[in-house]
Amino acid sequence: MPDRAAPSSAPPTSSPVAPSPGDALTIAVVDPSRARAAILEEGLRAVEGARVVVIPDTADLLDRLSALSPDVVVIHLESPSRDLLEQMFGVSRLVERPVAMFVDRSDTPMMQAAVDAGISAYIVDGLRAERIKPIIEIAILRFNAFARLQRELSEARSELADRKLIERAKGILMSAKGLTEDEAYKQLRRKAMNEKRKIVDIARAIVTAADLLG
Amino acid sequence: MRLQLGYVPLTDAAVLIAAVERGFTAAEGLEVDLVAEPSWATLRDRLALGLLDGAHMLAPLALACHLGLSGPQARLIAPAALARNGNAVTLSLPLWQALDAASDAVPDVGRALARVAEARAAEGRPLTLATVHPFSSHTYQWRRLLALGGSSLAAVRLVVVPPPRTVEALERGLIDGFCVGAPWSSVAVEAGVGRIAAFGVAITPGCPEKVLALPAEMEDRTTPLLRALKRAARWCGDPAHREDLVALLGSPRHLGLDPALILRGLAGALRLAPGGPVVEAGDYLVLGERELTPDPAALGWLVDEMAAAGQIEAGAMPEAAGLYRPDLLAAA
Repeated sequence: MPDRAAPSSAPPTSSPVAPSPGDALTIAVVDPSRARAAILEEGLRAVEGARVVVIPDTADLLDRLSALSPDVVVIHLESPSRDLLEQMFGVSRLVERPVAMFVDRSDTPMMQAAVDAGISAYIVDGLRAERIKPIIEIAILRFNAFARLQRELSEARSELADRKLIERAKGILMSAKGLTEDEAYKQLRRKAMNEKRKIVDIARAIVTAADLLG
Repeated sequence: MRLQLGYVPLTDAAVLIAAVERGFTAAEGLEVDLVAEPSWATLRDRLALGLLDGAHMLAPLALACHLGLSGPQARLIAPAALARNGNAVTLSLPLWQALDAASDAVPDVGRALARVAEARAAEGRPLTLATVHPFSSHTYQWRRLLALGGSSLAAVRLVVVPPPRTVEALERGLIDGFCVGAPWSSVAVEAGVGRIAAFGVAITPGCPEKVLALPAEMEDRTTPLLRALKRAARWCGDPAHREDLVALLGSPRHLGLDPALILRGLAGALRLAPGGPVVEAGDYLVLGERELTPDPAALGWLVDEMAAAGQIEAGAMPEAAGLYRPDLLAAA
Protein backbone atom coordinates (compact mmCIF):
# COMPACT_ATOMS: atom_id res chain seq x y z
CA MET A 1 0.00 0.00 0.00
CA PRO A 2 1.45 3.37 -0.94
CA ASP A 3 2.11 6.24 1.36
CA ARG A 4 1.44 4.71 4.73
CA ALA A 5 2.86 7.62 6.64
CA ALA A 6 3.79 7.27 10.27
CA PRO A 7 1.03 8.38 12.63
CA SER A 8 1.28 12.07 13.21
CA SER A 9 1.34 13.69 16.58
CA ALA A 10 0.81 17.18 15.20
CA PRO A 11 -2.00 19.12 16.80
CA PRO A 12 -5.18 19.40 14.74
CA THR A 13 -5.30 22.50 12.61
CA SER A 14 -8.52 24.33 12.05
CA SER A 15 -9.73 26.69 9.40
CA PRO A 16 -9.31 30.35 10.26
CA VAL A 17 -12.72 31.13 8.74
CA ALA A 18 -15.30 31.41 11.49
CA PRO A 19 -18.51 29.71 10.40
CA SER A 20 -21.81 31.43 10.91
CA PRO A 21 -23.32 29.71 13.93
CA GLY A 22 -26.64 28.67 12.41
CA ASP A 23 -25.12 27.07 9.37
CA ALA A 24 -21.80 25.82 10.74
CA LEU A 25 -20.62 22.47 9.57
CA THR A 26 -17.67 20.73 11.17
CA ILE A 27 -15.80 18.31 8.93
CA ALA A 28 -13.18 16.01 10.41
CA VAL A 29 -10.55 14.52 8.11
CA VAL A 30 -8.82 11.30 9.20
CA ASP A 31 -6.07 9.93 7.01
CA PRO A 32 -2.93 7.87 7.70
CA SER A 33 -1.18 10.07 5.12
CA ARG A 34 -0.55 13.59 6.37
CA ALA A 35 0.18 14.89 2.90
CA ARG A 36 -3.09 13.58 1.51
CA ALA A 37 -5.00 14.90 4.52
CA ALA A 38 -3.53 18.37 3.93
CA ILE A 39 -4.56 18.31 0.28
CA LEU A 40 -8.08 17.30 1.20
CA GLU A 41 -8.29 19.88 3.96
CA GLU A 42 -7.32 22.62 1.58
CA GLY A 43 -9.99 21.53 -0.88
CA LEU A 44 -12.72 21.27 1.74
CA ARG A 45 -12.14 24.82 2.94
CA ALA A 46 -14.00 25.86 -0.18
CA VAL A 47 -17.19 24.39 1.28
CA GLU A 48 -19.33 27.23 2.51
CA GLY A 49 -19.64 27.54 6.27
CA ALA A 50 -17.39 24.57 6.88
CA ARG A 51 -14.78 24.22 9.58
CA VAL A 52 -12.26 21.56 8.60
CA VAL A 53 -10.21 19.77 11.23
CA VAL A 54 -7.53 17.21 10.44
CA ILE A 55 -7.28 14.56 13.14
CA PRO A 56 -4.21 12.32 13.21
CA ASP A 57 -4.96 8.64 12.83
CA THR A 58 -3.54 7.58 16.18
CA ALA A 59 -4.69 5.45 19.07
CA ASP A 60 -6.49 8.37 20.78
CA LEU A 61 -8.59 9.12 17.69
CA LEU A 62 -11.83 8.20 19.43
CA ASP A 63 -11.38 10.70 22.26
CA ARG A 64 -10.41 13.48 19.89
CA LEU A 65 -13.41 12.83 17.67
CA SER A 66 -15.76 12.67 20.64
CA ALA A 67 -14.47 16.03 21.80
CA LEU A 68 -14.89 17.60 18.36
CA SER A 69 -18.31 16.04 17.66
CA PRO A 70 -18.13 16.67 13.89
CA ASP A 71 -21.06 16.67 11.48
CA VAL A 72 -19.10 14.82 8.84
CA VAL A 73 -16.07 12.58 9.11
CA VAL A 74 -14.14 11.91 5.92
CA ILE A 75 -11.77 9.00 6.43
CA HIS A 76 -9.45 7.24 4.03
CA LEU A 77 -10.32 3.61 3.37
CA GLU A 78 -6.73 2.67 4.09
CA SER A 79 -7.14 3.63 7.73
CA PRO A 80 -7.64 0.71 10.09
CA SER A 81 -9.57 3.13 12.31
CA ARG A 82 -12.63 2.84 10.09
CA ASP A 83 -14.00 -0.01 12.17
CA LEU A 84 -13.60 2.17 15.22
CA LEU A 85 -15.79 4.85 13.64
CA GLU A 86 -18.47 2.28 12.90
CA GLN A 87 -18.69 1.54 16.59
CA MET A 88 -18.62 5.20 17.54
CA PHE A 89 -21.35 6.19 15.13
CA GLY A 90 -23.38 3.03 15.17
CA VAL A 91 -23.84 1.29 18.42
CA SER A 92 -22.05 3.25 21.07
CA ARG A 93 -23.43 5.90 23.33
CA LEU A 94 -20.36 8.05 22.95
CA VAL A 95 -21.93 10.50 20.57
CA GLU A 96 -25.41 11.68 21.25
CA ARG A 97 -26.39 12.39 17.68
CA PRO A 98 -27.32 9.44 15.50
CA VAL A 99 -25.15 9.20 12.46
CA ALA A 100 -25.97 7.77 9.09
CA MET A 101 -23.24 6.10 7.16
CA PHE A 102 -21.84 7.28 3.92
CA VAL A 103 -23.75 9.29 1.37
CA ASP A 104 -27.33 8.76 0.39
CA ARG A 105 -27.50 4.98 0.21
CA SER A 106 -29.53 5.10 -3.00
CA ASP A 107 -26.72 6.93 -4.78
CA THR A 108 -24.70 3.85 -5.74
CA PRO A 109 -22.52 5.46 -8.47
CA MET A 110 -21.46 8.15 -6.01
CA MET A 111 -20.60 5.53 -3.39
CA GLN A 112 -18.66 3.50 -5.94
CA ALA A 113 -16.69 6.54 -7.06
CA ALA A 114 -15.94 7.42 -3.45
CA VAL A 115 -14.79 3.94 -2.47
CA ASP A 116 -12.77 3.64 -5.66
CA ALA A 117 -10.99 6.88 -4.77
CA GLY A 118 -10.38 5.60 -1.23
CA ILE A 119 -12.95 7.64 0.65
CA SER A 120 -15.47 6.85 3.26
CA ALA A 121 -17.60 9.43 4.97
CA TYR A 122 -19.71 9.30 8.09
CA ILE A 123 -22.43 11.86 8.27
CA VAL A 124 -24.77 13.08 10.96
CA ASP A 125 -28.27 11.90 10.24
CA GLY A 126 -30.55 14.59 8.94
CA LEU A 127 -27.86 16.57 7.17
CA ARG A 128 -29.30 17.49 3.79
CA ALA A 129 -27.97 15.62 0.79
CA GLU A 130 -27.17 18.82 -1.10
CA ARG A 131 -24.80 19.83 1.70
CA ILE A 132 -23.03 16.48 1.68
CA LYS A 133 -22.64 15.99 -2.06
CA PRO A 134 -20.11 18.78 -2.66
CA ILE A 135 -18.01 17.51 0.24
CA ILE A 136 -17.84 14.02 -1.21
CA GLU A 137 -17.23 15.37 -4.70
CA ILE A 138 -14.32 17.49 -3.52
CA ALA A 139 -12.90 14.55 -1.60
CA ILE A 140 -13.11 12.29 -4.67
CA LEU A 141 -11.41 14.88 -6.89
CA ARG A 142 -8.68 15.60 -4.38
CA PHE A 143 -7.93 11.97 -3.57
CA ASN A 144 -7.83 11.01 -7.24
CA ALA A 145 -5.54 13.94 -7.96
CA PHE A 146 -3.28 12.88 -5.10
CA ALA A 147 -3.11 9.30 -6.41
CA ARG A 148 -2.27 10.60 -9.89
CA LEU A 149 0.47 12.83 -8.48
CA GLN A 150 1.97 9.93 -6.60
CA ARG A 151 1.92 7.74 -9.68
CA GLU A 152 3.62 10.46 -11.71
CA LEU A 153 6.17 11.02 -9.00
CA SER A 154 7.10 7.35 -8.81
CA GLU A 155 7.30 7.18 -12.62
CA ALA A 156 9.57 10.21 -12.65
CA ARG A 157 11.74 8.65 -9.95
CA SER A 158 12.18 5.42 -11.85
CA GLU A 159 12.89 7.34 -15.07
CA LEU A 160 15.62 9.26 -13.28
CA ALA A 161 17.09 6.03 -11.90
CA ASP A 162 17.07 4.53 -15.41
CA ARG A 163 18.88 7.53 -16.82
CA LYS A 164 21.56 7.32 -14.13
CA LEU A 165 22.10 3.64 -14.90
CA ILE A 166 22.52 4.35 -18.62
CA GLU A 167 25.01 7.12 -17.82
CA ARG A 168 27.07 4.74 -15.71
CA ALA A 169 27.02 2.02 -18.39
CA LYS A 170 28.13 4.55 -21.01
CA GLY A 171 31.02 5.61 -18.79
CA ILE A 172 32.11 2.01 -18.31
CA LEU A 173 32.06 1.35 -22.07
CA MET A 174 33.93 4.60 -22.78
CA SER A 175 36.81 3.82 -20.43
CA ALA A 176 36.94 0.08 -21.19
CA LYS A 177 36.85 0.40 -24.99
CA GLY A 178 38.09 3.95 -25.50
CA LEU A 179 34.80 5.09 -27.08
CA THR A 180 33.25 8.52 -27.31
CA GLU A 181 30.02 9.09 -25.42
CA ASP A 182 28.05 8.98 -28.64
CA GLU A 183 29.65 5.68 -29.72
CA ALA A 184 29.03 4.14 -26.32
CA TYR A 185 25.35 5.05 -26.47
CA LYS A 186 25.04 3.66 -30.01
CA GLN A 187 26.55 0.34 -28.90
CA LEU A 188 24.07 0.14 -26.04
CA ARG A 189 21.19 0.88 -28.36
CA ARG A 190 22.31 -1.64 -30.98
CA LYS A 191 22.69 -4.38 -28.37
CA ALA A 192 19.22 -3.61 -26.98
CA MET A 193 17.67 -3.74 -30.46
CA ASN A 194 19.40 -7.01 -31.36
CA GLU A 195 18.30 -8.66 -28.15
CA LYS A 196 14.84 -7.05 -28.17
CA ARG A 197 15.44 -5.65 -24.69
CA LYS A 198 15.31 -2.18 -23.21
CA ILE A 199 18.46 -0.05 -23.19
CA VAL A 200 18.19 0.22 -19.42
CA ASP A 201 18.27 -3.58 -19.10
CA ILE A 202 21.48 -3.78 -21.12
CA ALA A 203 22.90 -0.91 -19.05
CA ARG A 204 22.01 -2.73 -15.83
CA ALA A 205 23.78 -5.89 -17.05
CA ILE A 206 26.91 -3.89 -17.87
CA VAL A 207 26.91 -2.10 -14.52
CA THR A 208 26.36 -5.37 -12.64
CA ALA A 209 29.13 -7.10 -14.56
CA ALA A 210 31.50 -4.18 -13.99
CA ASP A 211 30.69 -4.20 -10.26
CA LEU A 212 31.49 -7.91 -10.07
CA LEU A 213 34.68 -7.70 -12.14
CA GLY A 214 35.90 -4.38 -10.80
CA MET B 1 -12.15 -16.26 -14.65
CA ARG B 2 -10.33 -13.51 -12.79
CA LEU B 3 -11.41 -12.79 -9.21
CA GLN B 4 -10.50 -10.12 -6.66
CA LEU B 5 -10.92 -11.67 -3.21
CA GLY B 6 -10.54 -9.64 -0.03
CA TYR B 7 -9.46 -10.78 3.40
CA VAL B 8 -8.28 -9.42 6.72
CA PRO B 9 -4.92 -10.91 7.71
CA LEU B 10 -5.82 -13.37 10.48
CA THR B 11 -5.12 -17.05 11.07
CA ASP B 12 -8.67 -17.97 10.13
CA ALA B 13 -8.15 -16.72 6.57
CA ALA B 14 -5.91 -19.81 6.18
CA VAL B 15 -8.21 -21.77 3.86
CA LEU B 16 -8.65 -18.87 1.45
CA ILE B 17 -4.95 -17.96 1.50
CA ALA B 18 -3.89 -21.58 0.98
CA ALA B 19 -6.42 -22.00 -1.85
CA VAL B 20 -4.66 -19.26 -3.78
CA GLU B 21 -1.06 -19.66 -2.64
CA ARG B 22 -0.87 -23.45 -2.91
CA GLY B 23 -2.27 -23.49 -6.42
CA PHE B 24 -5.78 -24.87 -5.82
CA THR B 25 -7.53 -21.93 -7.47
CA ALA B 26 -5.12 -21.92 -10.42
CA ALA B 27 -5.84 -25.64 -10.92
CA GLU B 28 -9.51 -24.71 -11.34
CA GLY B 29 -8.64 -22.15 -14.01
CA LEU B 30 -9.07 -19.16 -11.71
CA GLU B 31 -6.83 -16.14 -11.65
CA VAL B 32 -7.20 -14.77 -8.13
CA ASP B 33 -5.88 -11.51 -6.70
CA LEU B 34 -5.86 -11.75 -2.91
CA VAL B 35 -6.36 -8.29 -1.44
CA ALA B 36 -5.50 -7.68 2.22
CA GLU B 37 -7.99 -5.12 3.53
CA PRO B 38 -7.11 -2.71 6.37
CA SER B 39 -10.49 -2.92 8.10
CA TRP B 40 -13.72 -4.89 8.10
CA ALA B 41 -15.68 -1.80 7.10
CA THR B 42 -13.52 -1.26 4.03
CA LEU B 43 -13.74 -4.92 3.07
CA ARG B 44 -17.53 -4.79 3.44
CA ASP B 45 -17.92 -1.60 1.39
CA ARG B 46 -15.71 -2.84 -1.42
CA LEU B 47 -17.62 -6.14 -1.54
CA ALA B 48 -21.03 -4.47 -1.37
CA LEU B 49 -20.16 -2.00 -4.13
CA GLY B 50 -18.79 -4.63 -6.50
CA LEU B 51 -15.10 -3.75 -6.18
CA LEU B 52 -14.41 -7.22 -4.75
CA ASP B 53 -15.77 -10.49 -6.14
CA GLY B 54 -15.75 -12.18 -2.75
CA ALA B 55 -14.27 -12.00 0.71
CA HIS B 56 -13.28 -13.69 3.94
CA MET B 57 -15.77 -12.08 6.28
CA LEU B 58 -17.05 -12.04 9.86
CA ALA B 59 -20.25 -14.11 9.71
CA PRO B 60 -22.32 -11.49 11.62
CA LEU B 61 -21.02 -8.70 9.37
CA ALA B 62 -21.91 -10.67 6.23
CA LEU B 63 -25.42 -11.10 7.64
CA ALA B 64 -25.66 -7.43 8.66
CA CYS B 65 -24.59 -6.32 5.18
CA HIS B 66 -27.05 -8.75 3.58
CA LEU B 67 -29.87 -7.36 5.76
CA GLY B 68 -28.86 -3.72 5.11
CA LEU B 69 -27.88 -3.09 8.72
CA SER B 70 -24.27 -2.17 8.03
CA GLY B 71 -22.83 -0.17 5.15
CA PRO B 72 -24.22 -0.13 1.62
CA GLN B 73 -26.82 -2.88 1.42
CA ALA B 74 -25.98 -5.81 -0.86
CA ARG B 75 -27.52 -9.22 -1.34
CA LEU B 76 -24.81 -11.70 -0.44
CA ILE B 77 -24.43 -15.46 -0.40
CA ALA B 78 -22.16 -17.44 1.91
CA PRO B 79 -21.58 -20.85 0.29
CA ALA B 80 -18.69 -21.78 2.59
CA ALA B 81 -17.71 -21.38 6.23
CA LEU B 82 -13.98 -20.68 6.52
CA ALA B 83 -13.54 -21.18 10.27
CA ARG B 84 -15.28 -21.97 13.53
CA ASN B 85 -14.19 -20.46 16.88
CA GLY B 86 -10.69 -18.97 17.17
CA ASN B 87 -11.24 -15.95 19.42
CA ALA B 88 -9.93 -15.35 22.90
CA VAL B 89 -10.59 -12.77 25.59
CA THR B 90 -7.32 -11.29 26.77
CA LEU B 91 -7.12 -8.91 29.73
CA SER B 92 -4.43 -6.52 30.86
CA LEU B 93 -2.30 -8.00 33.63
CA PRO B 94 -3.62 -5.48 36.24
CA LEU B 95 -7.24 -6.28 35.37
CA TRP B 96 -6.55 -10.02 35.48
CA GLN B 97 -5.11 -9.57 38.98
CA ALA B 98 -8.07 -7.44 40.06
CA LEU B 99 -10.43 -10.20 38.90
CA ASP B 100 -8.99 -12.70 41.35
CA ALA B 101 -11.23 -15.37 39.80
CA ALA B 102 -11.99 -18.49 41.84
CA SER B 103 -10.61 -20.59 38.98
CA ASP B 104 -9.67 -20.38 35.30
CA ALA B 105 -13.03 -21.87 34.32
CA VAL B 106 -15.15 -19.51 32.21
CA PRO B 107 -18.10 -19.25 34.65
CA ASP B 108 -15.72 -18.13 37.40
CA VAL B 109 -13.91 -15.72 35.10
CA GLY B 110 -17.24 -14.30 33.89
CA ARG B 111 -18.52 -13.79 37.43
CA ALA B 112 -15.30 -12.07 38.49
CA LEU B 113 -15.24 -9.87 35.39
CA ALA B 114 -18.86 -8.86 35.91
CA ARG B 115 -18.15 -7.94 39.53
CA VAL B 116 -15.21 -5.69 38.55
CA ALA B 117 -17.15 -4.22 35.59
CA GLU B 118 -20.10 -3.27 37.81
CA ALA B 119 -17.83 -1.83 40.51
CA ARG B 120 -15.91 0.24 37.99
CA ALA B 121 -19.15 1.47 36.38
CA ALA B 122 -20.42 2.54 39.81
CA GLU B 123 -17.19 4.49 40.34
CA GLY B 124 -17.81 6.30 37.08
CA ARG B 125 -14.76 4.84 35.35
CA PRO B 126 -16.09 1.87 33.39
CA LEU B 127 -13.82 -0.79 31.96
CA THR B 128 -12.80 -0.19 28.35
CA LEU B 129 -13.11 -3.41 26.40
CA ALA B 130 -12.27 -3.87 22.74
CA THR B 131 -14.00 -5.80 20.00
CA VAL B 132 -13.12 -5.93 16.29
CA HIS B 133 -16.39 -4.67 14.81
CA PRO B 134 -19.87 -4.04 16.20
CA PHE B 135 -21.20 -6.94 14.09
CA SER B 136 -18.84 -9.66 15.25
CA SER B 137 -18.92 -12.80 17.38
CA HIS B 138 -16.36 -10.94 19.52
CA THR B 139 -19.03 -8.42 20.58
CA TYR B 140 -21.42 -11.23 21.42
CA GLN B 141 -18.77 -13.13 23.38
CA TRP B 142 -18.15 -10.08 25.57
CA ARG B 143 -21.89 -9.81 26.20
CA ARG B 144 -22.16 -13.47 27.15
CA LEU B 145 -19.09 -13.41 29.36
CA LEU B 146 -20.40 -10.40 31.30
CA ALA B 147 -23.86 -11.98 31.52
CA LEU B 148 -22.39 -15.00 33.34
CA GLY B 149 -22.01 -12.70 36.34
CA GLY B 150 -25.21 -10.74 35.78
CA SER B 151 -23.56 -7.75 34.10
CA SER B 152 -24.01 -6.41 30.58
CA LEU B 153 -22.43 -4.35 27.80
CA ALA B 154 -24.15 -1.30 29.30
CA ALA B 155 -21.73 -1.43 32.24
CA VAL B 156 -18.62 -1.14 30.08
CA ARG B 157 -17.21 1.10 27.40
CA LEU B 158 -17.08 -1.17 24.34
CA VAL B 159 -14.72 0.15 21.67
CA VAL B 160 -13.45 -1.19 18.39
CA VAL B 161 -9.72 -1.68 17.94
CA PRO B 162 -8.28 -3.15 14.74
CA PRO B 163 -6.59 -6.50 15.55
CA PRO B 164 -3.01 -5.33 14.75
CA ARG B 165 -3.43 -2.45 17.22
CA THR B 166 -4.85 -4.47 20.12
CA VAL B 167 -1.50 -5.28 21.72
CA GLU B 168 -0.32 -1.68 21.63
CA ALA B 169 -3.67 -0.44 22.99
CA LEU B 170 -3.44 -2.89 25.89
CA GLU B 171 0.17 -2.00 26.59
CA ARG B 172 -0.58 1.74 26.65
CA GLY B 173 -3.54 1.23 28.95
CA LEU B 174 -6.03 2.58 26.38
CA ILE B 175 -8.07 -0.59 26.85
CA ASP B 176 -8.44 -3.05 29.73
CA GLY B 177 -9.00 -6.09 27.56
CA PHE B 178 -9.85 -7.29 24.10
CA CYS B 179 -11.60 -10.13 22.35
CA VAL B 180 -9.85 -10.88 19.07
CA GLY B 181 -9.10 -13.71 16.67
CA ALA B 182 -5.86 -15.66 16.45
CA PRO B 183 -3.01 -15.00 16.65
CA TRP B 184 -3.37 -11.64 18.43
CA SER B 185 -3.98 -12.99 21.95
CA SER B 186 -0.81 -15.04 21.66
CA VAL B 187 1.03 -11.95 20.45
CA ALA B 188 -0.10 -10.06 23.58
CA VAL B 189 0.91 -12.90 25.88
CA GLU B 190 4.29 -13.19 24.18
CA ALA B 191 4.79 -9.42 24.49
CA GLY B 192 4.17 -9.81 28.21
CA VAL B 193 1.21 -7.39 28.31
CA GLY B 194 -1.85 -9.65 28.51
CA ARG B 195 -3.37 -12.74 30.08
CA ILE B 196 -5.77 -14.93 28.12
CA ALA B 197 -8.82 -15.06 30.39
CA ALA B 198 -11.17 -17.13 28.25
CA PHE B 199 -11.19 -18.94 24.94
CA GLY B 200 -14.05 -17.97 22.65
CA VAL B 201 -14.93 -21.63 22.28
CA ALA B 202 -15.56 -21.87 26.03
CA ILE B 203 -18.01 -18.94 25.88
CA THR B 204 -19.84 -19.88 22.68
CA PRO B 205 -19.00 -23.46 21.61
CA GLY B 206 -19.14 -24.03 17.85
CA CYS B 207 -19.26 -20.30 17.13
CA PRO B 208 -19.76 -19.37 13.45
CA GLU B 209 -16.72 -17.19 12.82
CA LYS B 210 -15.71 -16.40 9.23
CA VAL B 211 -17.52 -17.17 5.99
CA LEU B 212 -16.74 -16.79 2.32
CA ALA B 213 -19.14 -14.03 1.26
CA LEU B 214 -19.93 -13.47 -2.41
CA PRO B 215 -22.31 -11.10 -4.20
CA ALA B 216 -25.58 -12.95 -4.87
CA GLU B 217 -25.02 -12.46 -8.63
CA MET B 218 -22.07 -14.88 -8.38
CA GLU B 219 -24.49 -17.73 -7.59
CA ASP B 220 -24.08 -19.49 -10.95
CA ARG B 221 -20.29 -19.19 -11.03
CA THR B 222 -19.19 -20.49 -7.65
CA THR B 223 -18.18 -24.04 -8.59
CA PRO B 224 -14.46 -23.57 -9.44
CA LEU B 225 -13.84 -21.43 -6.35
CA LEU B 226 -15.70 -23.82 -4.05
CA ARG B 227 -13.83 -26.82 -5.46
CA ALA B 228 -10.55 -25.05 -4.79
CA LEU B 229 -11.67 -24.21 -1.25
CA LYS B 230 -12.58 -27.85 -0.59
CA ARG B 231 -9.12 -28.97 -1.59
CA ALA B 232 -7.49 -26.14 0.36
CA ALA B 233 -9.56 -26.94 3.47
CA ARG B 234 -8.47 -30.59 3.26
CA TRP B 235 -4.87 -29.45 2.85
CA CYS B 236 -5.11 -27.04 5.83
CA GLY B 237 -6.79 -29.67 8.00
CA ASP B 238 -3.92 -32.13 7.52
CA PRO B 239 -1.45 -31.74 10.41
CA ALA B 240 1.33 -32.79 8.01
CA HIS B 241 0.99 -29.41 6.28
CA ARG B 242 0.88 -27.35 9.45
CA GLU B 243 4.47 -26.21 9.33
CA ASP B 244 4.12 -25.12 5.72
CA LEU B 245 0.82 -23.39 6.54
CA VAL B 246 2.14 -21.34 9.48
CA ALA B 247 5.15 -20.28 7.41
CA LEU B 248 2.78 -19.17 4.63
CA LEU B 249 0.52 -17.24 7.03
CA GLY B 250 3.43 -15.69 8.89
CA SER B 251 5.11 -14.37 5.75
CA PRO B 252 5.24 -10.57 5.36
CA ARG B 253 2.77 -10.82 2.48
CA HIS B 254 0.04 -11.97 4.89
CA LEU B 255 0.25 -11.64 8.69
CA GLY B 256 3.92 -10.75 8.95
CA LEU B 257 4.24 -12.44 12.36
CA ASP B 258 6.33 -15.15 13.99
CA PRO B 259 5.03 -18.50 12.64
CA ALA B 260 5.50 -20.02 16.12
CA LEU B 261 2.76 -17.73 17.49
CA ILE B 262 0.42 -18.67 14.64
CA LEU B 263 1.10 -22.33 15.31
CA ARG B 264 -0.25 -22.04 18.88
CA GLY B 265 -3.74 -21.21 17.65
CA LEU B 266 -3.77 -23.76 14.85
CA ALA B 267 -2.50 -26.51 17.14
CA GLY B 268 -4.86 -25.53 19.95
CA ALA B 269 -2.00 -25.32 22.45
CA LEU B 270 -1.87 -21.83 23.91
CA ARG B 271 0.13 -20.11 26.58
CA LEU B 272 -2.32 -18.20 28.80
CA ALA B 273 0.11 -15.93 30.62
CA PRO B 274 3.58 -14.58 29.96
CA GLY B 275 5.95 -17.36 30.98
CA GLY B 276 3.02 -19.52 32.04
CA PRO B 277 2.23 -23.13 31.11
CA VAL B 278 0.73 -24.18 27.78
CA VAL B 279 -2.94 -25.16 27.87
CA GLU B 280 -4.58 -27.56 25.43
CA ALA B 281 -7.77 -26.33 23.78
CA GLY B 282 -8.66 -28.80 21.05
CA ASP B 283 -11.45 -26.83 19.38
CA TYR B 284 -9.86 -23.42 19.94
CA LEU B 285 -9.84 -22.78 16.18
CA VAL B 286 -11.33 -25.29 13.79
CA LEU B 287 -10.83 -25.32 10.07
CA GLY B 288 -10.82 -28.11 7.55
CA GLU B 289 -13.04 -29.78 5.01
CA ARG B 290 -15.73 -30.79 7.49
CA GLU B 291 -16.06 -27.24 8.76
CA LEU B 292 -16.57 -25.83 5.29
CA THR B 293 -20.32 -26.50 5.11
CA PRO B 294 -22.22 -23.48 6.43
CA ASP B 295 -24.90 -24.47 8.92
CA PRO B 296 -28.15 -22.52 8.33
CA ALA B 297 -29.00 -23.01 12.02
CA ALA B 298 -26.20 -20.53 12.76
CA LEU B 299 -28.21 -17.75 11.10
CA GLY B 300 -30.96 -17.92 13.70
CA TRP B 301 -28.33 -17.85 16.40
CA LEU B 302 -26.69 -14.78 14.86
CA VAL B 303 -30.02 -12.94 14.61
CA ASP B 304 -30.72 -13.72 18.28
CA GLU B 305 -27.26 -12.47 19.27
CA MET B 306 -27.73 -9.24 17.32
CA ALA B 307 -31.00 -8.67 19.15
CA ALA B 308 -29.48 -9.52 22.54
CA ALA B 309 -26.68 -7.00 21.88
CA GLY B 310 -29.27 -4.33 21.09
CA GLN B 311 -28.32 -4.07 17.42
CA ILE B 312 -31.76 -5.01 16.06
CA GLU B 313 -35.26 -5.46 17.43
CA ALA B 314 -35.95 -8.99 18.59
CA GLY B 315 -37.97 -11.05 16.14
CA ALA B 316 -37.65 -13.19 13.08
CA MET B 317 -35.56 -12.02 10.13
CA PRO B 318 -36.89 -14.05 7.21
CA GLU B 319 -34.44 -12.47 4.74
CA ALA B 320 -31.55 -13.93 6.76
CA ALA B 321 -32.36 -17.43 5.51
CA GLY B 322 -31.03 -16.77 2.00
CA LEU B 323 -27.48 -16.02 3.10
CA TYR B 324 -26.08 -19.49 3.83
CA ARG B 325 -25.93 -21.72 0.74
CA PRO B 326 -24.64 -25.18 1.68
CA ASP B 327 -26.35 -26.44 -1.50
CA LEU B 328 -23.79 -24.64 -3.67
CA LEU B 329 -20.91 -26.24 -1.78
CA ALA B 330 -22.51 -29.68 -2.00
CA ALA B 331 -22.99 -29.29 -5.76
CA ALA B 332 -19.40 -28.18 -6.41
